[in-house]
Parts: sequence; C-alpha cells; structure tokens
Amino acid sequence: MGEIEMELPSNVALTTTSAIHDFIKGSPLQKLVNWGRKNSLWFMVHPMGCCGIEQICVGVAHYDTDRFGIIPRASPRQADVMMISGYVSKKYLPALKRVWDQMVEPKWILMMGECAISGGPWWESYSTVINMDEIFPVDIYIPGCPPRPEALLQGFIELQKKIEAQQDRTVIPNPADEGV
Amino acid sequence: MGDEQAAKQIIDKNIMIELSNNFPNVVSDVDVPSPNRAVARIDSSQVKEIMQFLLDKGFDHLSCISGVDYPPDKMEVVYHVTSYSGPLVITLKASIPRDDPNIDSLCDIYWNANWYERETYELYGIIFNDCPYLKVLLLPEDMEGEWPLRKDYAGYPNPT
Amino acid sequence: MTHEATQITSPTKPSEILLHLGPQHPLQPGPFLLDLKIEGETIKEAELKIGYIHKGMEKVFEDRTYIQILPLADRICYLASNSNNDVYCRGVEELLGIEPTERAKYLRVITNELCRIQSHLLGIGEYTTDVGFLTMFLYMIREREGVVSLLEAITGSRLNHNYARFGGVANDLPPGYKEMALKTFGELKKQIKSHDELLSSDSIYLSRTKGVGVLTAKQASELGVAGPPLRASGVEYDLRRIEPYLVYDDLDFKVITQTDGDVFSRVKVRLLEILESIYIIEQCLDQIPSGPYKQDVMPYITRPKPGEVYSRIEDPRGEMGMYIISDGSDKPYRFRIRGPAFATAQALPPLLIGSYVADVAAIAASMDSCTSEVDR
Repeated sequence: MGEIEMELPSNVALTTTSAIHDFIKGSPLQKLVNWGRKNSLWFMVHPMGCCGIEQICVGVAHYDTDRFGIIPRASPRQADVMMISGYVSKKYLPALKRVWDQMVEPKWILMMGECAISGGPWWESYSTVINMDEIFPVDIYIPGCPPRPEALLQGFIELQKKIEAQQDRTVIPNPADEGV
Repeated sequence: MGDEQAAKQIIDKNIMIELSNNFPNVVSDVDVPSPNRAVARIDSSQVKEIMQFLLDKGFDHLSCISGVDYPPDKMEVVYHVTSYSGPLVITLKASIPRDDPNIDSLCDIYWNANWYERETYELYGIIFNDCPYLKVLLLPEDMEGEWPLRKDYAGYPNPT
Repeated sequence: MTHEATQITSPTKPSEILLHLGPQHPLQPGPFLLDLKIEGETIKEAELKIGYIHKGMEKVFEDRTYIQILPLADRICYLASNSNNDVYCRGVEELLGIEPTERAKYLRVITNELCRIQSHLLGIGEYTTDVGFLTMFLYMIREREGVVSLLEAITGSRLNHNYARFGGVANDLPPGYKEMALKTFGELKKQIKSHDELLSSDSIYLSRTKGVGVLTAKQASELGVAGPPLRASGVEYDLRRIEPYLVYDDLDFKVITQTDGDVFSRVKVRLLEILESIYIIEQCLDQIPSGPYKQDVMPYITRPKPGEVYSRIEDPRGEMGMYIISDGSDKPYRFRIRGPAFATAQALPPLLIGSYVADVAAIAASMDSCTSEVDR
C-alpha cells in the first residue's frame, strides 16, 4: 500500500497560490496564522476501540480539553485533527482513507494507542493493518494501551508546539506546478 | 428459593434421559459433569429434530454455535442451548467430515441462529443447508473462501 | 419474524432511498454500517453490516498461553473488562480444579459491580447524546469519573483492569477504601435519583422515548436479545439469580424489570440497576472476610487437564459465555467467546422496521451494544 493519491479535477481552483503562501511563511504573519490554528484544534470524534473511550473521556467533564480550544466534532468536514484511536482492520481501511480525504487542509493525525501504531496485542492477526504510518502522514504518536487522558493532553500540546514551529503541511501541491 | 431451584435442576437433568430415549441411535456419549452442564454427542443428520424436541421441552434460547477443527478428517459443530427459566446448559456436538462439511441450518427453529451460522461458515467453511442468507459477516468480502480459523491456515501468524 | 426483511434489496420505486449510516458515524462508539431502505420517513428494510474491527481474537488466543491470554481477555469488551476477566478466570479455574479464596470472591464481586456501574453510566450518557440531551452526557461522565477513580484505587488502571488471577486477585484493597467508597456512593445515589426524576418528568424526552422501539417479551425471547433490553420487556432473566456464581447467593438484591419494552424502559432499567449495584457493593464491604486474597502456590505454567468448560457471567450487557477446549498443553485448543452484544445487535434490524428515520439513533443507542464485542 503506497501513499494516498489525490487527484484534483482541472476546474477546481485552490484558495491560495503557492506564491502567497511562500510570502506568508517568511513573514511574521505566519506566527499569527499558527497561533490561530494551534488554539482551535477541533478533533473528529471517532472512537474505534478501547482508546476511543479515553478519547471520549478526555473531551468532556473531568479532563476538559475545551480550555485548550479543542472540541469534538462529529463530521470529518468540520474537523482539523483525526485521532486514529484504536484498531484498524483490513475491512475498515478503505473507509478510513475516504474519511481522511474528506477532511479539509490543514489537517493533522494523532495516532493513539498501540493497536493503531503497530498492531498492538493483535499484530499477528490475519486482519490487522500494522503499517499505518506508511499509509497516513502521522504527526504525533501517543503510546499506551490505553494511554491515560493526561498522555492524550500531552499529545495535543506537542501538536500545538509542532504547529507553532511551522513544521506542518499547509497546502497540497498544486498540479500546475508539476512541470516547473 | 432453594427448594424451587433444586426441583428445577432435577427436572432439567431428566431432559438428558428423555433425549436419549427419544433418539436412541442418534444421541450418544451423554455426560453430566455438574448440576448445570450436560454434554452429548449427536448425529449430524438429525440436528433439526433434536433441536425441535428441545425447543418443545422449554429450551428456548440458543446461546451459541461454534465450529471446531480436528484435522485431518473431521470437524465439529457445537451447539449450546439454554432456557430462560433454568440454569441448565446443554452442549451438543455434531461431527461432520472435513472435506465435505455441511449440516442443516436451524434458522427456522431458532431465529437468532442466522448470524452464528454465517460466522461459522466464513471462519471454517462449514455450509449450512437452507440458511436464508449465508454470506460473510465479519471478514471483508475478498477473504471469503480462506477459512481462517482452520488449523492449516497459512495466513497466520501474519507478521507483515 | 422472518429473515427476509433484514436483507437489503435495491430500491424499486422512485420514492425509496437507500441510506448508508456508517461506518464512521456519531452513534455508538465503534464502526458498523447500518443500511436502511426508507420510503418517505418510514424504514422498510434494514441491514446491519459488522466486522470493521474484527481482530481475529479466537485465532490469536489459540497461539497464546493461558497466562498470556489474561490481559488480552479484558480487551474483548472494553467497557465490561472486569466481567470478561472474571469469566475467563473462572473457566480456567474449573479446568485446573482450583477455587478462588473467600476474600478474593468478594473482591471480584466488588470490581464486577463497579464495572457495571461505570458501563451503565457511559451507556446512558452515549444514549442521551444521541437523543440530543448533551447536558446529561456531561453529568454522567462526571459521575463516572468518581467510579473510575474507585476502580483505579484497587486495580491501578482506568480501563482494561486485568485484576483477576487464577485462584485469586492481583492485589488487596488499599487502606481507607471503605470510607472513600461510601462517600462516593452517597453522592452518586443522590445524583442518580435526581437524574431519574429529570428523565421521567421532562415532557419532550418522554414524547421522544415512550412507545418507541417496542419489543414485547415474546419477541425479545425469540430474537435472542440479552441483558437490560430483555429485562425491560418483562423477562426476568439475570444470571446472578438463575445460576449464582461467586458469592451472589449470599447477597440480597432485586432483579430490575419493566414491562413496556420501549426505549424509555431500557434506560430506566439501567438507571435502577446502578442503584442496586451500589447496594450490593455496600453489603460486600460489610461482609468481606479477612484472609488471603490469592492462593499460596500457583503454577507458573498452567497446563489444565484435557477437557472443556463453558463458563457464564452476567455482563452489563447480558449473558457472556466462554467455551474453552483444552488438549493438555499450555495453550487452548479452541477458545470461543459468546458475547451478549452480538446477540443484541442481531436483533436491531427487525426492531427498526416500521419506525421513523429520526428514531434510529434513539433505538440503536438504547440497545447499548459494544462494537468490539460484536466483532471480536
């Protein structure tokens, strides 16, 4: 399984061109963009296994993430962060890829738990996908089985630091630039 | 409460004696290892009649259908039947040949047999005759025919 | 009830639509695909497609020793992890021919009931989210954090506790536990009673849930439903009374049933079961004997004699069974898991036929299935 291929139809215009983006990246405006992005990370509620329960619990009452600006959203179109929280099987992988494609840039992935990172306790099974980082561009790994909610909060804070340091993917490559 | 339960257990244990009397050459190896468990081996051609008999006697809940693989020559289908009013669990085992595994379906006697039969079919390759909807349930569609839970399945352990 | 209506066929009239709900959906935790064929707003056919987190557990367990399966057995149903561990340990103990100590039996009952409380709290919370009552979800999670802290004080983990061992349990109660537990339970009882009052008196909630998704007692037994949905239809089936295990025949508790069989009754059964579980734990904390919490001598490599066992437990979702065949070696020959959520999920499509699309979320969430246990 290789990388995801993204095909843009030729009549779709990107919202910014690479020139404007390169200009913003070099200027202090990028810091403002980063500050806005890192303080309002909305994650997609996507519980898939045991880690899904900790994902639900971290978003509500006791370990509140709303104080960091992180709130749960149900639809992939409205979310910035996809948390692969649990076991991915061969039957579910095409659907997961489709959900990931529906999310709008800029987007990030948090791999939560052992089952997502490397197959976990079920790594020898006939229906496990164990090379998830070859299929999806992962930003943060959070190990544990399941990781505690505090570990998940630390994962979000590391992602915020990563965004602040401008090491994120901001725009998909423009096919018009291919030949240049 | 104690007397009632003791009476129920005596009534329930007699069911195995009745079962052997009604199906003389079909039920064999009856064993009652503890007050709430009974095991018997049955002939695979008379499965529907035996299950209908048990349903009429008050065993109205089919707990589970499983398959067991005994290479090289046989497989077994194991039924667990209980009742909503007593603690007895009857385990019935039916042997079928490994190279032509098929057995009658119980879907018109117990409604919830359908998903158990589908699961046993896709994991072992046991065909349930007259099952209304015998398709894969848990595995992806392209894994139908691989029978992963057989003992000689080549795809396990899968380190890739 | 026939099987024909639970297989989806293509729409034949222009007024029929095929609606796919899932596999990524905001309903219960865990992916499944619910195909609905609707005409207008009414559902004509429904099919539930599962298997999106099928781990192949039964094959993996045939390749692990009995002690290695101990932490993995928790992960069958993560919300009821103590029950899974307990039924597995009791099955292997029967094969080995040993009994847990008296104190260990009481400790196992305490952790089983705490697990039941937190599972019901999360189940009701998820259900109220799907109905649209988000505030109740936050209240339930707040209550649940108190119970999870109690479990963490004994077992050391919030989820997947891995507490029972062959012949006993892993550790003893910490000092001062009884006072901590009674204080938490005092608060919890007050809150549950006020939530029960709120849910029984709110007119919008009542009109959305009374008479919706009705299962009669006959239908529930025919479909093979398990657990609180079965008891909400009037069938008094609780394994803690029918086949008492551990110390349940020394304890005094009621089996909660309701008669209507609709969505409202199922939630009410869960709320009242929380109060019963608190009562059971209080009795256990009074009656628990002192003594060892595990056997002195335990074999390092467990090799049970050849045989088979079918052990059962009353899970928060119904009757869970494990059928283990041993051939004398240190790995099981066949390990079959009978989950209650599998049985209840099978009964969901015929229940949805004839109801409205807007009620699907409420009905599916009131059955409270755990997708990991359905798929194994």
